Amino acid sequence: MLQSGAGGLGCEILKNLALSGFKDIHVIDMDTIDVSNLNRQFLFRQADVGKPKATVAAEFVMKRVKGVKITPYYGAIQDKGPDYYMQFQLVICGLDSVEARRWINATLVEMVDPQNPESLKPLIDGGTEGFKGQSRVILPTLGSCYECSLDMLTPRTAVPMCTLASIPRQPAHCIEWASILEWPRVMGDKKLDNDDPEHIQWLYEKALERAREFNISGVTYSMTQGVVKNIIPAIASTNAIIAASCCNEALKIVTSSNPYLNNYMMYIGDEGVYTHTFAHEQKDGCPVCGNMATDFHAKADWTLDEFIERLKEKPDVQIKKPTLTTERRKLYYAGPPQLNELTKPNLDKRLKDLLDSGEEVAITDPGLPFSLRLNVIFS
Amino acid sequence: MASSIPSGAPGSREKKYDRQLRLWGANGQNKLETAHIALFNASATGCEILKNLILPCIGQFTVIDDKLVEEADLGVNFFLDEDSLGKPRAERAAALLGELNPDVMGNYIIDNFSNLLSTKPELFEPLTTPFTHFVLVSPFPTPLLLLLPPEIPTFLVYSLGFTTSLRVSAPIHTIVETHPDSLTDLRLLNPWSELSSMATERTTNLEIQQKVDGDGGMSDHEHGHVPYLILLLKYLEDWKQSHGGNYPATYKEKGEFKVLIQDNMRTNVPGGSEENYEEAIAAVLKNVREAEVSSETKEVLNDTKCANLTLETDNFWIIARAVKDFLENPEQGNGLLPLSGGIPDMKAESNGYVDLQNVYKYKARYDASLVEKNVRTILSSLNRDPSSIPLDEIELFCRHSNFLRRILYRPLPAEFSTLPDEHHKKAVCAALSSWDADTSLIHDYIALRAYQSFVTETDGRAPGDTDETLEVDTAEMTRLAELYLKEVGWSTGLGERGKNMIREVVRTGGGELHNIASLAGGIVAQEVIKIITQQYVPVNNTIVFDGISSRTGTYEL
Repeated sequence: MLQSGAGGLGCEILKNLALSGFKDIHVIDMDTIDVSNLNRQFLFRQADVGKPKATVAAEFVMKRVKGVKITPYYGAIQDKGPDYYMQFQLVICGLDSVEARRWINATLVEMVDPQNPESLKPLIDGGTEGFKGQSRVILPTLGSCYECSLDMLTPRTAVPMCTLASIPRQPAHCIEWASILEWPRVMGDKKLDNDDPEHIQWLYEKALERAREFNISGVTYSMTQGVVKNIIPAIASTNAIIAASCCNEALKIVTSSNPYLNNYMMYIGDEGVYTHTFAHEQKDGCPVCGNMATDFHAKADWTLDEFIERLKEKPDVQIKKPTLTTERRKLYYAGPPQLNELTKPNLDKRLKDLLDSGEEVAITDPGLPFSLRLNVIFS
Repeated sequence: MASSIPSGAPGSREKKYDRQLRLWGANGQNKLETAHIALFNASATGCEILKNLILPCIGQFTVIDDKLVEEADLGVNFFLDEDSLGKPRAERAAALLGELNPDVMGNYIIDNFSNLLSTKPELFEPLTTPFTHFVLVSPFPTPLLLLLPPEIPTFLVYSLGFTTSLRVSAPIHTIVETHPDSLTDLRLLNPWSELSSMATERTTNLEIQQKVDGDGGMSDHEHGHVPYLILLLKYLEDWKQSHGGNYPATYKEKGEFKVLIQDNMRTNVPGGSEENYEEAIAAVLKNVREAEVSSETKEVLNDTKCANLTLETDNFWIIARAVKDFLENPEQGNGLLPLSGGIPDMKAESNGYVDLQNVYKYKARYDASLVEKNVRTILSSLNRDPSSIPLDEIELFCRHSNFLRRILYRPLPAEFSTLPDEHHKKAVCAALSSWDADTSLIHDYIALRAYQSFVTETDGRAPGDTDETLEVDTAEMTRLAELYLKEVGWSTGLGERGKNMIREVVRTGGGELHNIASLAGGIVAQEVIKIITQQYVPVNNTIVFDGISSRTGTYEL
């Protein structure tokens, strides 16, 4: 059994797995304990602040529950490869980022070898926000995967740069101005550390000044921290519900005692209690589990640069610094420098001069844990 | 929307509780920290519930249990360890739970519910009890349930195998901070004079294209930054002129109104369209409508508590009455609630936006000041200190005045006495005859009712607790379920799912599964927090979770 994440959901999951009779558990987490974790991450105490979550959580649960062996790994899930993931029967995730979820999902899908049933590792994923949460069971290649449902995420609407730069209206605009524009202007190359209270204080003061200048009220330290770190409210009870639901599904899968969740449960506790349990459909042409290049309509007159900009706008793609290739040529390399130099001139060329309509383009990106294949069709 | 968060750098408590203060604010946290929860039964479920309340920092808890820790407890309860074996469960659970948060005070009583009810009745008297909330985890005998004081919010919890359920019972529950998605109330069809004149002023030269600076026309830049609220107000006025003084009301008319806006958009600009006009068009269907009082708020304002105020009446009802007076007074609200005052973000210049925002804000403040005047008058007439309700509280109430809730929880005897009331009978029969009756979780509830009767007649023994009694216990549970169905007037008897559920409950032998105990701990703690903080909307009154199909059902029973 592998558990990734030893935070809010992770602490619960580890306790639940140990008390469900799982004897050999590995837990991965790259974070250290922060004081703001203590309102829900119940395996940690004030004295543990600063220590690695995976290690402290493993030690605590092994001490409390006899006969369970927990192997912690303090590091990123991306440090490990397929050989490592192959040793587990099931993977259960309480992660806090979309990137990490996409990575583990794509890795487990990629690992599936139709000739070897052992290579299919069920993935159970949970997530929470305030009084709401969801748990889901993913059977890589057999059903809907994490990537299939990427468009269910509410897109974080970016505020246009001109609003931040010249016409702020909301306190959040002033805070983003301070962190995105003012920090680099004043601090130069010095990196902004969201966890450094002095840095947050600086942003808060700058944002407050700007807000006063534009008669905008409502900038607080807490809001500054929330906007800059994209803080999602989190409480123990919601984590308990979702983590327990995930572990309940894990137990049902492993013991075959009862049918397991097919495949998604949403729990909404803000207004009464409402759950929605449903089968999320596998997406046709899912770039991860669909195994097929999907069609993408483009204008033959677009430059390659324009094409890349359009790709970035697609909510189900989410790329940042892509590298594009076809069977016959290197279209554009974001790095290394030599290849970037060589391929940069292509950015200004028109698609019709680089591609035939219907030709397959492979896209790789630091934000993509897999290679995206598109049939570019001229319309 | 959090109620009030300090604006400066956080203290150590704010840091520790940051992630929850973003939900319920200092208001909610203060209430949480004055709660004293009594837990009856230090089972895994009971301890998990407390864990999720101790972490966010309730004031105090007391674990009440008369059993000694056994080996079996360790396999399911995380808050009992090997050192606890043979010692009182109450003491050990209180100790290990207490470690979770040094800010919370933990206590224990080695005793049980029925005994305490007769030996220490003061613990159950509203005026003498130290407890603010009771959490009871089954088993408990039915006759004692009927003796619980209705004044103290009580949470009845079952956790058997894959099934868990919660029944909430509380005195009348009122909520100001319900946390709706948005408090926005734009009043486009009921604009007050300041808003109307602002719309007129800002649009006098809207249709005139500026050729050169200072020619009195509007530049493309200005035109593209007129806030969409102003645009809507202006075109609504135009529409009225050409439609006999009426606003667009039907879906069709609203469609035509959208075309009117579209036709006035400048298209000879970079990009070929204007974002503010597009925002205006997108807002038509949702926002071009009469300001109405929600049915939930009507319920509050029409409650007899609003009419019959006394010296002891809660602030909630006093302010509600003041709002009702505001609404009905032609000199004040004249049929409208106090304005909430917020507006959404929209394409606009900073100044233009802030000025518009201020028109809403000032109106909201003015409305609240009238409500405040009403409050002071009411307080004086009740011979109470007229300043005893702070303005902050009145303003918070006014902002939420269209999203108020009051929940009348049904008393436990109406559900659990041998002769349940008509409402209960109807609710159960309705669930049993609904279109999804085959899979409905009402069957789980019925099986739990049979279990409740079983533990009452056996003095706490769970059905199926030994292999030898499995068969007779199943028969007895079936008989009890059938009996209950007869009591509620359901003549068809136990269905397929009902029979399965009986077997499932007997199969568990009263045992907990840790995952379900933990899940119950989360569900119950969420509801306890909602009741304590008087924020968000708690369940009314029963929730059942089935861990096999991963579904919940909620019923008012």
